[in-house]
Amino acid sequence: MEKDIVNFALDYAQSKAVDYAEARAQNTKHEEIVVKNGILDAYVSTVDSGLCVRILAEGGLGFASTNKLSKDEVRAIVDMAYKSAKLARRQDEIAFAEEKGVKIKWDVEQKKKIEDVSPEEKIDELMGVDKSLATQEIKIPGRISVCEIDMAEKYFVNSEGSEISSFLPKIAAFAFITVVENGKPEQAFKQFGRSGGWEAFEEWKMTETLLHEANVLQRLIKEGKSVKPGKMDLVCGTEVTGIASHESCGHPIEADRILGREMSQAGRSFIYQGGPYWIGSQIGSDIVTIVDDPTVKNSYGYYKYDDEGIGARRRFLYKNGKIHEFLHNRETAAKLGTRSNGSSRSTNYDREAIVRMASTFLLPGDWTEEEIIADVKHGIYMKSFTEWNIDDRRFNQRYVGREAYMIENGELTTQVTRPTIETSTKTWWSTVDAISKKIDFDAATCGKGDPMQGIPVYTGGPVIRLKEVYVK
Amino acid sequence: MSDILEKTEAIVKKGKALGADEVLATTVFGRYRQTRFSNNQIDITTAWNDYVTDLTLSWNKRLVATQIRNFQNSAKIAEQLFKLAKVSKENPNYGGIASGKFTYSKPTADRKLQELENPSQYVFEAVEAAQKEAGSEVKAGGILFSKYEDVYLVSSEGPVGRDARSAVELSIRAFSQIDASGHGVECCSSLGNFKPSRAGEKAGKIARMAKNPKQAKEGKYDIIFDPLFFGSMLSTWAQMVSAYSIMIKLSVFVDKLGQKVAPEAVTLRDKPAEYSVNNRIFDDEGFPIQENLFIERGILKTYLHNTSTAKIFKTNTTGNAGLVQPQPWSIEMDAGHLSKDQLFDEMKNGLYLTNTWYTRFQNYATGDFSTIPRDGIFLIENGEIKQSWKDLRLSDNILKLMGNIAGISKERQQVHWWLEADPPSLSPYVLVKDIQMTRPK
Repeated sequence: MEKDIVNFALDYAQSKAVDYAEARAQNTKHEEIVVKNGILDAYVSTVDSGLCVRILAEGGLGFASTNKLSKDEVRAIVDMAYKSAKLARRQDEIAFAEEKGVKIKWDVEQKKKIEDVSPEEKIDELMGVDKSLATQEIKIPGRISVCEIDMAEKYFVNSEGSEISSFLPKIAAFAFITVVENGKPEQAFKQFGRSGGWEAFEEWKMTETLLHEANVLQRLIKEGKSVKPGKMDLVCGTEVTGIASHESCGHPIEADRILGREMSQAGRSFIYQGGPYWIGSQIGSDIVTIVDDPTVKNSYGYYKYDDEGIGARRRFLYKNGKIHEFLHNRETAAKLGTRSNGSSRSTNYDREAIVRMASTFLLPGDWTEEEIIADVKHGIYMKSFTEWNIDDRRFNQRYVGREAYMIENGELTTQVTRPTIETSTKTWWSTVDAISKKIDFDAATCGKGDPMQGIPVYTGGPVIRLKEVYVK
Repeated sequence: MSDILEKTEAIVKKGKALGADEVLATTVFGRYRQTRFSNNQIDITTAWNDYVTDLTLSWNKRLVATQIRNFQNSAKIAEQLFKLAKVSKENPNYGGIASGKFTYSKPTADRKLQELENPSQYVFEAVEAAQKEAGSEVKAGGILFSKYEDVYLVSSEGPVGRDARSAVELSIRAFSQIDASGHGVECCSSLGNFKPSRAGEKAGKIARMAKNPKQAKEGKYDIIFDPLFFGSMLSTWAQMVSAYSIMIKLSVFVDKLGQKVAPEAVTLRDKPAEYSVNNRIFDDEGFPIQENLFIERGILKTYLHNTSTAKIFKTNTTGNAGLVQPQPWSIEMDAGHLSKDQLFDEMKNGLYLTNTWYTRFQNYATGDFSTIPRDGIFLIENGEIKQSWKDLRLSDNILKLMGNIAGISKERQQVHWWLEADPPSLSPYVLVKDIQMTRPK
């Protein structure tokens, strides 16, 4: 990491009439291994490095980046960011919530260092997963798996005296399979992700997970029964609880959406000033508490300081069924008269940091999974999902089950084909009446921003029961 | 030969000297500018300069790739990449890259897009146009984006080319009420034809009509799709005709070559022409871009190929490399015979949907999916807009949607928006019959 040029960028920015300036550099070693239908398609290995500056001047914001680390180029991008900030000519000036400078170094430990694992070993591991799938009796004619490794070294300095160095290694894998039985196809996508070293690949048990998925899909084709639509109890597996927590709690609670800054792309929120929902409004049953926590150890969304140099902490988004706390960066916090809670993230040096989630999950309750199922007379257990979406106010959502079963008199009976719930955020969280003790997490890539910044997150939570909801 | 082309060629020579079978280097000097705005004010203007060379080489059918920044450590990076190739695994499906000397069209990029003088003026022009349509209380947000790329490609197999690619886009969403909005886009490859007020006017007009929306009613409807909405469907179909999507079953078009997949009125082509915001004169292998009719009068004629997938499918490349994955560049749906007004006039009872997002599939092979209309959703009776609706979801099948096309307008618009309508397309107003709409309970 060439810290001198980053410090030079900040010094040069501070030589201008700025209210605030920061320089952020990132050096990312990236590897991508693609295995398709038993063949190694390609191995990509890159090192990407560059820096950006962000300047607040005359109430406007300017941002510029480059990967050409010469003093002339850095001067040029600082000039560009400064000029852009001044050209904004805003009626209400942008301000940042107050913070003190921080000097710190942080990193994430790797039990098995990624750099100590040879390319051959990485290839063999991923191809081994594919081979296990290809040699089953189940026909899986469509298989693609991808392993991605990112080792990001960052250096952040700002005009308030912050100086933060960090090293964050992450590995991820994606797999998409198509099972065909009697000429009919069914498909599943699984994502794995973790911060830390290569030990994650062994912990995931990718082969076992994907073989389970293949069996589920085969049974679905052979034995799956359709659902008789109507009101019933819906038990959601941890994957389903996780996506709902992310989509209908995490996203609408992002303060930049609430203030309209994402109005054209990712959209707004059902929470807005002067609207029916605000902090303190009831949105779920009393037992619903959802948090977002970047400090979950080895999570895919882990960080210790955000990309504005603010320390990460657990945020209580919905607490006891009430809207409790928004996700903030310094700009949104200043607008709403509060402090940043460290939610500002960027995917790379060439992207503006914006308000993002990290690990969003419903806190556990006091039931066991078995007790929840045993307490259902007539319902569905939706363990995992396939198609899903939600409107851009984050209120009208739909989840379609991938692995799902009927529950009759407390027993799991037949596998059911694509049960669907299409409901509002209020109905979803208000009907939760049982929550399991055990929770689990899934890795996901959250999309937001323009240009799109796909950022690593965890979604998760316990098994939950939604009482008397319409399922079709 | 320019200095940059020479440096790019030197990387290729280094790769060959190391023992690689094929080497391809593409240097892009990109200047990208974006102004983001919301609530009628500018939030931030961002500028990013990117100096990057994509280097790909093969050795004994092992394909590896990397990037070089600003030509730094080029030789060392090439050596590391060659070492990676040697420990990699053979890809029996690798069929090489385009070979031969090609003649390319002359690039037509607009040099004015190297640096926009005052981007704010375009934003304010669009916002004012929206306000003129929907009133001064309207709140608008969006982006103004410009790009200028100098592209230098050198291949050990013969192709050597220089391209310049430019685009300017404005996307604006206007809110007349918290639940009433309209979206407009203006997408051009040069500044000369760029009129941001067109996008603002459209966003404002839809936002005005969308005021006081009523709860939608579930059911099957005939639907007129706005070009912006239909651009999302066109991009989905185009991605599904990539041979790569076919090979991994991420497509409804598997084993359907030569079959009728749409009514005779439907012709779709991939054509990154000079007016497209994704214009180019060669693909990522240096093969000259061509116009590919992939659906002609309703018949699926071809998949989109690079050299490798073309060999697997026993055909020729279509100029759509992606070295690993062939990709569509810019889609065009051929114009129909009816005017937009005639399409509306002839609709007795149905919906007009202006935009959508969050298109997701239950099964890419069967095409079962849903997508969420956003911005104006209108009930049409006897050719007239009767009511604005909200909270509706299109829940049907993407192949059925193509098969039920019943009318295509003469008017077409170039649309490109975020990841929802990407790649860009030249999209008409389209009437589709009998589509299932659902709503939350």
